[in-house]
Amino acid sequence: MIGPARLQVSELGKRFGGVIAVKNMSFDVNAGEIVGLIGPNGSGKSTVMSLIMGITRPNSGMIRLDGTNISGWPAHRIARAGVSIVFQHSRPLQRQTVLENIKLAMLPDSLLRLAMEPSVAERARIIAERVGLGGVLHRRPRTLPFADLRRMELAKAVARDPKVVLIDEPFAGLTPTEIKALSDLIRTLRDEGRAVLLVDHSVKSVAALADRVIAMYLGERIAEGRAEEVMQNETVRRVYIGGKIEAVERRQGAGTEAQTLLEIEDVEVFYGKALALDRVQLSIRQDEFVSIVGLNGAGKTTLFNAISGLVPYRGAIRFAGRDLRNLTAAAIARAGVVHCPETRELFGHMSVRENLDLGGGHLSNRERERQLAWVFDLFPILEARQTQVARTLSGGEQQMLALGRALMMQPKLLILDEPTLGLAPVILGQMSKAIERLRDERSLTLLLAEQNVTFALPHSDRLYLLDHGRIAWQGDPARFAEEMHTGYL
Amino acid sequence: MRAVQILVDGFAISSLYGLAAVGFTLIFGVSGVLNLAHGGIMVVAALVGWLAAGELGLGTYLGTLLGVAAGLATAYATYLVAVRPIQTSRAISAEETEIFVLTGTLLWGIMIQVGMAYLFTDNPVTIRPLISGVVNIFGVRTPTNEVMIAVLAWMLIGLLWLLVNRTRTGKALLGAAMNPRGVTLLGYELTRIYLVAWTIYGILAGIAGVLLASFLGVGTANTGQLTASAFSIVVLGGLGSVSGSLIAAYLVGYLETATAYLIAPTLRPIPSLILLVLAVYVRPQGLLGRR
Amino acid sequence: MALFRSRIVWVAVIVLIVATLLPFVFSAYLLGVLTVAYYFGVFAMAWDLLFGFAGEVNFGPTFLIGVGAYTAGILSSKFGLPIPACIIAAAAAAMVGGALLALPALRLRGPYFGLVTLVAVLLLQNFVVIFAGVTGGEIGMTVPDVLSIDANANYWYALGFLALSAALLFGLSRSAVGLILQASGQDVVEAAALGFNVTKHKLAAFCVSAIFSGTAGAMLIFYMGTASVDTVVDIAIGVQIIIAAVLGGRRTILGAILGAVFLIVANEFLRPLGQLNTLVVAAIALAVILFFPEGLLGYALHQDESQ
Repeated sequence: MIGPARLQVSELGKRFGGVIAVKNMSFDVNAGEIVGLIGPNGSGKSTVMSLIMGITRPNSGMIRLDGTNISGWPAHRIARAGVSIVFQHSRPLQRQTVLENIKLAMLPDSLLRLAMEPSVAERARIIAERVGLGGVLHRRPRTLPFADLRRMELAKAVARDPKVVLIDEPFAGLTPTEIKALSDLIRTLRDEGRAVLLVDHSVKSVAALADRVIAMYLGERIAEGRAEEVMQNETVRRVYIGGKIEAVERRQGAGTEAQTLLEIEDVEVFYGKALALDRVQLSIRQDEFVSIVGLNGAGKTTLFNAISGLVPYRGAIRFAGRDLRNLTAAAIARAGVVHCPETRELFGHMSVRENLDLGGGHLSNRERERQLAWVFDLFPILEARQTQVARTLSGGEQQMLALGRALMMQPKLLILDEPTLGLAPVILGQMSKAIERLRDERSLTLLLAEQNVTFALPHSDRLYLLDHGRIAWQGDPARFAEEMHTGYL
Repeated sequence: MRAVQILVDGFAISSLYGLAAVGFTLIFGVSGVLNLAHGGIMVVAALVGWLAAGELGLGTYLGTLLGVAAGLATAYATYLVAVRPIQTSRAISAEETEIFVLTGTLLWGIMIQVGMAYLFTDNPVTIRPLISGVVNIFGVRTPTNEVMIAVLAWMLIGLLWLLVNRTRTGKALLGAAMNPRGVTLLGYELTRIYLVAWTIYGILAGIAGVLLASFLGVGTANTGQLTASAFSIVVLGGLGSVSGSLIAAYLVGYLETATAYLIAPTLRPIPSLILLVLAVYVRPQGLLGRR
Repeated sequence: MALFRSRIVWVAVIVLIVATLLPFVFSAYLLGVLTVAYYFGVFAMAWDLLFGFAGEVNFGPTFLIGVGAYTAGILSSKFGLPIPACIIAAAAAAMVGGALLALPALRLRGPYFGLVTLVAVLLLQNFVVIFAGVTGGEIGMTVPDVLSIDANANYWYALGFLALSAALLFGLSRSAVGLILQASGQDVVEAAALGFNVTKHKLAAFCVSAIFSGTAGAMLIFYMGTASVDTVVDIAIGVQIIIAAVLGGRRTILGAILGAVFLIVANEFLRPLGQLNTLVVAAIALAVILFFPEGLLGYALHQDESQ
């Protein structure tokens, strides 16, 4: 039963420095309704949540709760007015039990009330049982499984009987069964007449749950409507996948006689309790260009971090036959496994030239000059801007710098994480050409992670699809185009 | 002539402060540590220098060198005893590490102070200046030593600048200060970079300690004051900014000298303290703070 | 949890009873040491409230203590006010000091806040020295009034004060407000999202910590009969307080008492070493930080939890 509009967002805008995170967002969330907010990484979804909750202040626009303007209010006041948020990462009080954590959520903001009201304990118990935590009331968060921690976050949010519930990425790290259970819980919230705003990367899970879906891209709304409509929307598909998935004329890649360069065997990674990678198997041959595609949160970055020695993992990763486990991250990089991360990790206050020079720091002066000349040839804009300070470069230029810097290390295996993230379409063309040249000019093996399948396909000898930490599909691009055309989103 | 005297004395002392502060800020910028044993390192250098030069009769030059070496050794000890174990300890959560390191260096500093007082003496010591004699600057008779100190300090700062901006190691250091993960991905070992940073720091602090001893005299009782001065200067200038530290060093150095000459020597540290309080209330990131 | 809580309270009650009976067994000298230790215990508990609960590291607890002590001392020696009035004034002055300290704190993170607290102590130290006419400068001042000249009476005053403070502070830490404080200290954003005005609560924590510190400082000088920079303001004292709280176990409140007693008694024991006793104590403290960051009571509680 959809009721009146509880939350009204109008022309909301937020910028962080030069980056516009949210632009002109307007939407309503009604009582008794679940609205899903979807969009690729960097589209501004979490920022919208932060703005509504008062954790950040909007630069423009208005947020109204039951008609009252709450924009600019401090977070605690917005919370008291009837808005609750379930954060992306569970934030329990580690030293308190589950029951105490929930009781906390029910306390008044008073300095003088030293004792809790007698009803608090009982009400907390009831809520805990409702979310399925009845059996672990007196346990501490550290001893709980990941899914229970998420339930506890939901319990805390519901404890104060909120009018509006904001839920940020509830399904990340959960198994399909757990996702279903949590979805059911969220449905009961709606059935109680609350207004629910949900954000998640898993478009399918959101679609199954939401009454209405709003798609965002680069801070703006690009589509709104029922789940099925939005998913079929041309703009939305393009934004997620990058365009039509079609078969491309493949270049002659490495033959099957080439040596195995990278071998990943049964690799598992845990972030706290969450299973980020579930027994991943992968292998890459010399001179192959392999792409890993999948939506955000699928585990691509985690896999790369494991290869580079930045996160602990179970299983085996071998490079040119050598086990990488006992090498430090820097040693792995020096061995030829060069990682150009999603976050680029540039030295913001140094110039373009200095960044590149640092990349070539292990080469002799002459070699470095030569390598630099090649990189400049690949990306002429870097040569033109070599004295410019890195953080003043545009997004596309920064990405080129990151790639150039990685190339300065003369990588044997280049690991490239989401190079097209947040870039305007015209830059994609330049990127694409550069990668092609890499294949033609150098003996280089490439492992590419991309959400944008259209970008990845032409450069791939083989593809892996990563979904919720598991390899869901592997094969060559032609087959991918045939089989995954409809099922991808 | 008071004015010129203040100008000249102030310059020398500010240069020394600057030298020490630059090292302090380097360590903060690169390894994120606010070293409260800073004064201790300077005092060790001064005392060992004095001991070697005077008591052991090794002469001023050798004494000075040994003093600096002792300062360097103490800096390493600080890193290995009070900093690294805490940073790598799994029993301490990430948010609490900073605080524990701060407390650890404070305790270590106290140990150094009391240890030195016990082993040697708690009276202030002086080291005979490397260059004796007097020069005439704008009508003020100034010990040549003071001039040399200022010159030396600036030479070292210049060398440091060259190191950081023109050598590969230096650039890696700078990079580590900006983005530790970035340098790791480029194949530089962070542990090695930290060692380089502490080495530079130890040498700078050691030299500053020894020079201070030859200029004003240094005693274990000064340990806290020296740390506090460096701290104030670095915060005023902006944590992590070398140029900020230098500017602030001159600000503080001149304020102190002027106070000592014009008001009373005992009130020396007050103005900079007040300045610090103001800064913290008004502009906590300091003049040129970045982090 | 209810079960556990009553256990710690029972143990505390037993220890209290034993402690009350000590004057019939111990010499005046030992009682004197314990008296100082008890006041130290209050200093350490007040620090633990701020750190363990509000998450703020105060590197200069002696600022608050010193403000309280000197207020009481000056009122007593220069204005002849009776002891109770001086103590109340001391508490009030310390609370104001606490609020002043809190103002920058609540806008600064991490090292900056610790810095402000250190600077506050340095300023107070210099202040006392400069206005030696009123404060007695570095030599210190004597107060005309003392709580008592009888060692037993002084001991019981201190024990009573400690017990009362412990009950109040421990009770606070286990109360609803204590829970909110913990949340504010551990995760500001989450606390705000749950509807708590974190600034208000941290400010309150500062004031409470200040009141206890200042009052204990005042009582200490009415015990010793003198006040000087070395005994109530020096950073070294502040460091000892922090060590006591960490030794005993952060966030336990009662552990701070254990740490304080251990520290003061150890100091006495090591007195023959002269200056070196500071070094030994600092070395022990460093070792504790490196190897037992949970502290004595912290470890005891930990064992309990894992069962």
